[in-house]
Amino acid sequence: MCNITKETAFGAISTVIDPEVGFNLVEMGLIYDAIVDEACNVQVIMTLSTQGCPLHQMIKQWVVEAVEKLEGVGTVEVEVVWEPAWNISMADENVKKALGGM
Amino acid sequence: MTPISQDFAPPLKLIAPFFHFGVIFYLLSMLALLFFEPVFSYQQMDVAGWIHLFLLGFVMTIIFGAMAQLIPVVLEVGHVVVDVYYVILPLLVFGTVVMVFGFWLMPALLPYGGLFVLIAMIIFAFENIATLKKTELKTLTVDTVAWSNGYLLLGILTGFSIALGLSGDLGINVALMLKAHVYAVLGGYVVLTIMGLSLTLIPMFSLAHGFDELAVKRAFKFVIVSVAVVFVGAVLGFEWLMLIGYALSFIGILFYIYQIYIIAKLTVRKEMDVWAKSIIFAFVALFLSILLSGLYFFTELPTMLHASVWFLLLGFVSFFIIGHLYKIVPFLVWFERFAPLVGKEKVPMLHEMYSKEGANMMFWFTLAGVLLGGVALLFESDMLFKAGGSFLFTGAIFLYITMKKMLAYGE
Repeated sequence: MCNITKETAFGAISTVIDPEVGFNLVEMGLIYDAIVDEACNVQVIMTLSTQGCPLHQMIKQWVVEAVEKLEGVGTVEVEVVWEPAWNISMADENVKKALGGM
Repeated sequence: MTPISQDFAPPLKLIAPFFHFGVIFYLLSMLALLFFEPVFSYQQMDVAGWIHLFLLGFVMTIIFGAMAQLIPVVLEVGHVVVDVYYVILPLLVFGTVVMVFGFWLMPALLPYGGLFVLIAMIIFAFENIATLKKTELKTLTVDTVAWSNGYLLLGILTGFSIALGLSGDLGINVALMLKAHVYAVLGGYVVLTIMGLSLTLIPMFSLAHGFDELAVKRAFKFVIVSVAVVFVGAVLGFEWLMLIGYALSFIGILFYIYQIYIIAKLTVRKEMDVWAKSIIFAFVALFLSILLSGLYFFTELPTMLHASVWFLLLGFVSFFIIGHLYKIVPFLVWFERFAPLVGKEKVPMLHEMYSKEGANMMFWFTLAGVLLGGVALLFESDMLFKAGGSFLFTGAIFLYITMKKMLAYGE
């Protein structure tokens, strides 16, 4: 029985912080989904704030490592997508307020 | 999925010296300003020496270092031979020093310094062109990189012929060739490159998304054509053709400013850090430069032209480059020294890696220096020019100190 849920996966990913803006990826709204199958394999669907992000590969790796820390997790895969494109309305209120965008 | 540009990122030890030497050259050029007067001609050898100290030593050295990092980001492929950058830097630094001494003390040295610079730039341009051939991307930014490198080659070849002309080894019309050289290097390489970088870096750091790129596409096309028109006009001695080229440049730059305005309207990040302040002032200075060049066109007062070039170089180009140094250098240092520690121990945020006070001092002293210097050139006031130079030099000292600390952070 797998006890990992989308929420626990999001919780693990929320330890990953974007060093440029200082917020975690979940509150930035960059994590679109976390699909957990019966064998506890996790597929994270995420985006980045810019396609030219020089930390692209590294952020993917940090997400994998964060989810792999969950007990009982199987394989972890991260897919970076560009549709829908990220925008500030996807971020949490505290991020919007801190960035001053909305 | 987009390929992984950072897989091709060159190491910090390769790029950092470009920034280090670039900032030293900036410091030296601001120091040298203290020995100039606000009344001059662009054909004076000491002025040409200062311009090469500033443009080759500071602008080109920093741009070359930045391009070593950013070419893979823009083209999404690795450099063909990234190690050539280890050769480019010493050639460029040595060539620049020899050229500046040539302009200031001994014109016979010019071809020798010019040869070193020529070799450095040919290596840079050909490596970039070879890397361009690897990319499958067909974007306007990629085309712009190709055009700018082509103009760089034209610019350095004309520059080298001028060096031979000034030392008496080649019989050419230096005045005409000078215009072709300036336009190919400044308009064709520096401005086109900065326009291309703007489209990648400004939205990235300001978190602006979903903007229309039509204006910048038009800007690129106008500037690319205008440089070719001015270059041909200068080489053939057709003043009317050059005027057409100037007008096309003017339209191109206006489209570029309009694009930046579109991006600025969509900017999510409102935080006024040193980068944001520098970029805002850079565009204010660009606007002033255009305004003054327009006034020069109607009045033909050389003071207008001098102030226009001043705001273009020390206001726009300098602030654009310096502002980005406070983003790019912490990132490079962080990427090298702290990224491997993520998840294992506490790592700094990028904005924690430089002194905010030092950066602010740099910004305000430099801003005051640029404004005072510009006014001094307009009114030919020696006292104001010296004051502006002093502010700029003080700002440069703060830049040097903050940059040195950033590069040493976490060593």
